[in-house]
Amino acid sequence: MDSVAQRLSAVGSANALELRGVTRLFGALAALVDVSLTVRPGERRAVLGSNGAGKTTLFNCITGDFPPSSGTIRFFGEDVTAFPPQERIRRGLRRTYQISALFPRLSVLDNVYLACRGVSRGRYSFIQPRRSDALVHAAENLVQAVHLTAIKDRFVAELAYGQQRQLEIALALAGAPRLILFDEPAAGLSPTERAELIEILSSLPAYIGYIIIEHDMDVALRVVERITMMHNGRIFKEGAPQEIEADPEVQELYLGGGHA
Amino acid sequence: MNSFIARRPIWSLIILVVAIALTWLVFAPWPPGFEAVFGRKKLFLNAALNGITLGGLYFLVASGFTLIFGLMRNVNLAHGSIYLLGGYFGYLAVDATGSWLFSFVVAFVVAALLGVILQVAVFRRMEGEELRQTLVTLGISIVLADLMLWAFGGNSWQIQTPTWLRGPVELPLVTAVKSSGEAVYLSYPIVRLVIFLASVVIGLAMWLVLNRTRVGMIIRAGVDDREMLAAMGAPVQLVFVIVFAFGAGLAGMAGVVGGTFQSLSPGEDTRFLLASLIVVIVGGMGSIPGAALGAIMIGLAEQVGLAYFPTYAIVLTFLIMVLVLAVRPQGLLARR
Amino acid sequence: MALAESRARGASSAASQLPWLQNLNPAAVLVAVVVLIMPAIASSFVLTQIFGWAYMLGTIALSLMFLAGYGGMVSLAQVTVAGFAGYVVAILGVNGVPGGRGWPWWLAVLAALILSTVVGAIVGALAVRTEGIYTIMITLAIAAAFYYFTNENYAIFNGHTGIDGIPTPVFLGVDWHAPIPFYYLTLFVAVLCWLAVSYVSRAPFGLALQGIRDNPRRMAALGFNVNAHRVAAYVFAALIAALGGILLVWSYGEIAPGAVSVSAAIDILVIAVVGGIGNPIGPFIGALIYAVLKTFALDVLVAFGLDGNRFRLLIGLGFLAIVFFSPDGVIGLWARWRNRLQAGSAPPQKAGDGHG
Repeated sequence: MDSVAQRLSAVGSANALELRGVTRLFGALAALVDVSLTVRPGERRAVLGSNGAGKTTLFNCITGDFPPSSGTIRFFGEDVTAFPPQERIRRGLRRTYQISALFPRLSVLDNVYLACRGVSRGRYSFIQPRRSDALVHAAENLVQAVHLTAIKDRFVAELAYGQQRQLEIALALAGAPRLILFDEPAAGLSPTERAELIEILSSLPAYIGYIIIEHDMDVALRVVERITMMHNGRIFKEGAPQEIEADPEVQELYLGGGHA
Repeated sequence: MNSFIARRPIWSLIILVVAIALTWLVFAPWPPGFEAVFGRKKLFLNAALNGITLGGLYFLVASGFTLIFGLMRNVNLAHGSIYLLGGYFGYLAVDATGSWLFSFVVAFVVAALLGVILQVAVFRRMEGEELRQTLVTLGISIVLADLMLWAFGGNSWQIQTPTWLRGPVELPLVTAVKSSGEAVYLSYPIVRLVIFLASVVIGLAMWLVLNRTRVGMIIRAGVDDREMLAAMGAPVQLVFVIVFAFGAGLAGMAGVVGGTFQSLSPGEDTRFLLASLIVVIVGGMGSIPGAALGAIMIGLAEQVGLAYFPTYAIVLTFLIMVLVLAVRPQGLLARR
Repeated sequence: MALAESRARGASSAASQLPWLQNLNPAAVLVAVVVLIMPAIASSFVLTQIFGWAYMLGTIALSLMFLAGYGGMVSLAQVTVAGFAGYVVAILGVNGVPGGRGWPWWLAVLAALILSTVVGAIVGALAVRTEGIYTIMITLAIAAAFYYFTNENYAIFNGHTGIDGIPTPVFLGVDWHAPIPFYYLTLFVAVLCWLAVSYVSRAPFGLALQGIRDNPRRMAALGFNVNAHRVAAYVFAALIAALGGILLVWSYGEIAPGAVSVSAAIDILVIAVVGGIGNPIGPFIGALIYAVLKTFALDVLVAFGLDGNRFRLLIGLGFLAIVFFSPDGVIGLWARWRNRLQAGSAPPQKAGDGHG
């Protein structure tokens, strides 16, 4: 596992994420068309757009669920276009899902432990970890970071919706992430939970960049420094939050003309 | 097809070469040197025709299986038992009425009825629980197998070919050339050819129904995306019942065919279940053309294997399955 | 659900002791004691026909439970692996059909175990090429293909006749084929495998497997090579199945294609499901029921005025009953019954009780 120092020294030497001409076709449906995107290390970006704009497909492509029909994807300078998901994850990419993708028949702590285990060695270990095991500690710390320590032994199937969403975040923070993709993290959250989410996102260390897909403009505008607008599978605008908010094209297409 | 040739030029060339070679093998008399190495042409022709006609039988059984699996995601492990049940009832029908054709009706009705009962009384209550449904079919196959063993015993039962289909017919295929220059043609049982033609007709009819009727469209849509089906407002449960009943009925009719070609005995249910499994794995889940292709391939593999290397025949079938799994796991003619 | 509770109690922090330690209750201790002193109270018929059999079949069914319960993969090829191991021991060791290599028993066993893991890896590699319910189909096809092959092939497997005259080794001065030593041998192997499965289920390998069962896509997005993990699970399961198969071939002294038939494969699935694939003890309970049923079915059926041969009919009906009314098997039935008792006799416990 790279040390933080090593990771910091890599910052600036390559873009965290670089998409060039990525297109993805599903039969006749063009979900992504010639998408080119550059994210710097530690950058906070939002990808916005109406339903069907291609945002989740973009994430699926970046994660490696399927290869692009054409184009390349580079992660911290490395060409990962042909890599399976686990290879990208092991290099520091993380992802959360719009619909919580958790392990319902395992406990909260087990879920986080698996996330920690997935990016370190010993995945096939037949030896049960001791209480003093470093990864167990890391998992417990993460559980604490998302305020779920009280229910760490409860099965995920028994969790409330908001708690599941918090667990989703915890899974993405495991190990040493360098770039996290958050897919609609605020969906269905109460105002308090949303405030907690914003706090978690804002307090992430500077070297962790993230891209967030969101419909909730309040959350999105508050936690990012740059916005990418998508429409019909293409990127049609990019800029700082204030610019995008004020842009007349964006207002017409996405914000419904004058809606803040 | 043009797009296939454009996308895969090498494979198309290989298929073309193989097709030409096969055409020569089948229609041209074999030179003596060739026969010394590869055996007699008559053996080859018989094996090939046996394989193709057996493929017709496998298609009848497997097409029902693939529809049930494709639409309802239910691995019907009782499919082989339904085949055998249909066969036994067909035998009884022939015994009672003397009509071979009528036995098909009886077999279809009995099997389809069983299918309706199963779908309505059992599987509907387990909607969405694929594994549980499959386990139920397993239990039913165990029960049916034992009931049939009890009722019909362990001996082989053979359905007599009706007199109007008995005997051979001479095909325009040369097996050898006599020293006088006269060609010897292949004689082949009429019944096998008739049944093969019937399978082709049934296959085409199914294809037409699936692709040209509203019910067929619903079924195809359901195979592609089951959740969409309910959203479309289609009478999903009714379609499920129809498909299960039809698939089962087809298997039952195939039982009569198998009872005529070969025989009926305990163990045949396993054999035809295995055949259905392999045909569907090779051809692709939910695909009727896939079932046809898979059935011909497996039928040929089995008969050619039996003719040329009997104790390792099953290995050939198995190898085909492994190859398909390795290269194109969803099946040769699957949609994705 | 009591099962969930006990599993979660064992899951209090990923670093846990053996789950059974925390489940140590009087009933379990009683069972352990009874099982250990069984030779003193039971006839050798009961020892071998019922318990020995239950341990051996239970071990093979345990391998299926491991794959299905923890991995979500229902493999009908476990009997194939078990039979394969038995055949290897028969062929490489001493046997009654001239042609046995005559290797010392421990070498034959070692070879059988190694080759079985290879077979397990092949089965796994084939089975993971497709998703979910296909696994049953592919493993069934593999099982049937192996059966037909052993039935036809005389060069290696001696075809339909099979191989007989296989001796159980005499080791450490003990004739392990005698009823009492064999009882303890099968008990030992069963307990060993059961402990191994229970322990591994909470190790990273087992936890990852359960994660893959619950959400394979997420596991890949957490950094796991999902298919490699699944194949590794098949290898581990193959080892367990092979142990059961070797014991069976020693018990019978012979092996024939019938041991790897589709019926045999289905029986092991029935045993695992009836017992319950949610817990490692399930397969052994299922195997015990199966052994008892098989031994006494004849008498019971005749007593009811039915044909005494209808054992498989009973199995099928019993299996259907379980799938209909208690899909999590006898274990599930017992858990629900225990809950109802607790609810009736004590103040109701909050679900998830005992967690942090």
